[in-house]
Amino acid sequence: MMSLLGSGGAVAVAGCFGGEDPRESDGDIQFLTMGVGDNIEEYFEENNAAFEEEFDAELDFTSVTWDNAQSTLNTRVDGGEAPDVSRLPARWIPQFAGKEALVPLDDLMEGEFGDQFYEGLVESNYYDGHYYGAPWAQSNKCLYYNKDVFEEAGLDPKDPGLDTWDDMLDAAIEIRDNASTSPYGLPANEALETGSQYCHYHWSFGADLIDDDRNPAVNSDEGVEALSFYSSLAQEHEVTQPSPLSSSRQDVRRLFENGDLGMVIAHVYAGLNIEDSDQDFDYGIVQVPEGPAGRYNLSTVDSLVIYTQTENEDLARDLFEFYYDEERRFEYSKQKGFLPVVESVAERDFFTEDENWAPFVEASEYARSRPKISNFSEFNNRVVTAIQETVGGDKSAQEALDDAQADLEEILE
Amino acid sequence: MTSVNQEYNEQTTDTRIEWLRTEVLANYTAYLLITPAIVFLLSVVAYPILETFRLSLYQSPTNSPVETFVGLDHYVAIFQSDIFYQLLWQTGRWVVASVTLKTVLGLLIAVHLNQQIAGRKFFRTAFLIPWGIPYAISAVVFRWIQHPQYGYLNAILLETGLISSPIGILGNTSTAWFGAVLADVWIGTPFMAIIFLAGLQSIPDDLYEAAAIDGAEWWHQFRYITVPQLKSVILIATLLSTIWTFVSFDVIWTMTRGGPMNSSATLVIWIYRVAFDQGSLGEAAAFSVIGFAFLLVFAILYLRLYTRGGESL
Repeated sequence: MMSLLGSGGAVAVAGCFGGEDPRESDGDIQFLTMGVGDNIEEYFEENNAAFEEEFDAELDFTSVTWDNAQSTLNTRVDGGEAPDVSRLPARWIPQFAGKEALVPLDDLMEGEFGDQFYEGLVESNYYDGHYYGAPWAQSNKCLYYNKDVFEEAGLDPKDPGLDTWDDMLDAAIEIRDNASTSPYGLPANEALETGSQYCHYHWSFGADLIDDDRNPAVNSDEGVEALSFYSSLAQEHEVTQPSPLSSSRQDVRRLFENGDLGMVIAHVYAGLNIEDSDQDFDYGIVQVPEGPAGRYNLSTVDSLVIYTQTENEDLARDLFEFYYDEERRFEYSKQKGFLPVVESVAERDFFTEDENWAPFVEASEYARSRPKISNFSEFNNRVVTAIQETVGGDKSAQEALDDAQADLEEILE
Repeated sequence: MTSVNQEYNEQTTDTRIEWLRTEVLANYTAYLLITPAIVFLLSVVAYPILETFRLSLYQSPTNSPVETFVGLDHYVAIFQSDIFYQLLWQTGRWVVASVTLKTVLGLLIAVHLNQQIAGRKFFRTAFLIPWGIPYAISAVVFRWIQHPQYGYLNAILLETGLISSPIGILGNTSTAWFGAVLADVWIGTPFMAIIFLAGLQSIPDDLYEAAAIDGAEWWHQFRYITVPQLKSVILIATLLSTIWTFVSFDVIWTMTRGGPMNSSATLVIWIYRVAFDQGSLGEAAAFSVIGFAFLLVFAILYLRLYTRGGESL
């Protein structure tokens, strides 16, 4: 009976999620990564084998799902079972660096090795006076539009005029009134995705999430203006798909990929997916629209890090050198559908000449990272609650952001 | 007559220890044989509970390498927070709605499957299928059913003209929790039905025959024979179902992740978010201990209430 009443054991049980125990392996080095799907499985199989042969080592390679990634790493680090090397989103670096779980890589990143990356990406790995990782993958977003839907709505698909948010809204209203498709995809159900979509608006209206003194600053006049505009898309103008609070980023991406949406802000792989599918509609890609304070593009960076619990730091560094070989980076970006992190790779014709890739390479000009906050998830969840309250019509932007600001001041205390 | 208890209470501490020693020595084979079971129980049941409680007293590593003892600070903070009371209400609402629907539907299905109907064996097997499917898979299916763009629920409602534009059940703060209840009821009802069916089959037919001769209608037979005879089965089934529903994680997490705006979050969902999303293991452990206490008190009260007439299970 007691075991059935085991909510008390929930944490202990949950600690087992994703709970492979690679320490049981005889491998010389453990490399943990996330979300290795069909498109990149072979790449890792071949390269891991090549690494083992070149360095006469055993490589224990594990991939966990993104859903389990954070809990797996937290549990393994706290339990003294950290991998030697792992991929992780750069936004987690403050948390793990705070636990003294990551090896500072200043010597690597300040030397020749670090020079191969875009400067902004290198900075994503900088926290509290040290570089804790090397950029492994980056993604940013652009605005896709469906040319067939634009034509149906009487808009010019060759010159869509989507430079500013107001331009985008005008086009969306035309589509709402003259076409049979939902004009604009607005995901608002999942915390991380909702926050990452909203960042573009918040920043381009001149607002910030935290100020220079690292205090929350979400309810500035500019922030209220940004969120008011954002929620007006659903509430006042009704130019979004029905029920944005039910929709994830994947939902709206799929809608666009199926030709059921006029516009969506999405990653490069939305275009790559359409190319690979048998859809026959035509689409265009432009930069994320500009706001009153400029144009910004959320740059999401994943990093490769070494854990302080490693007993094989030299071999871990060899793994770095191995996987940052230019040709390997090119193959990774090409096959995985992530923007290159190495400048020389990004400058290759494959990326600069391709109509799917080129706008995203250009978008790097407007790149901006999320603020570095050790309890980012908690911060983001609270901001997203305010976004959902406004998009759902429960509160005005001012009320929602004022409430969020009060809570965030406690969270960041 | 002197009871064993009276005899035991009259002993002094020394004589009790002596008695225990003699008892163990006299039956040492029996005690030796149950020792592995005791060790097993202590390690898999008692240890996680005690460790969770210990963890709840610490500011465990979130962004700090050191575990800092904070005493009951987490508990104080939880009881002073608004979210705790919101979670209590939402957890209670989820459990009551889900268990009630599962019990009522399970009972109705069991009563029908107990009749001599054509294809009875097929239906008995078919009704078990939802319970055999992994919860997360069923939850995904229900999420798609209710999806505003792709779900066939909206398609049917639109086609029949009941709504003019798609509705997002899981995207609305008032209905998201109920969308998850629907999936949980679909998954959990077969268990209740099978348990009730087993109980129904143990009721002697004579009772119904006698009632029928006395002129009792179906409803009276159900009320005065079926329900009282099933009392202990209903008690166990609803108790188990309440506990499982209270600690249920996968259905809500898969369908709504506790959103939108935390409106469908229950205590267990919150524990996961605090532990692994925010990295505050200590605070999550405190939430777990509180949830555990709630369930324990509930189970004791529930059992007492149902067994107060001296009836045992």
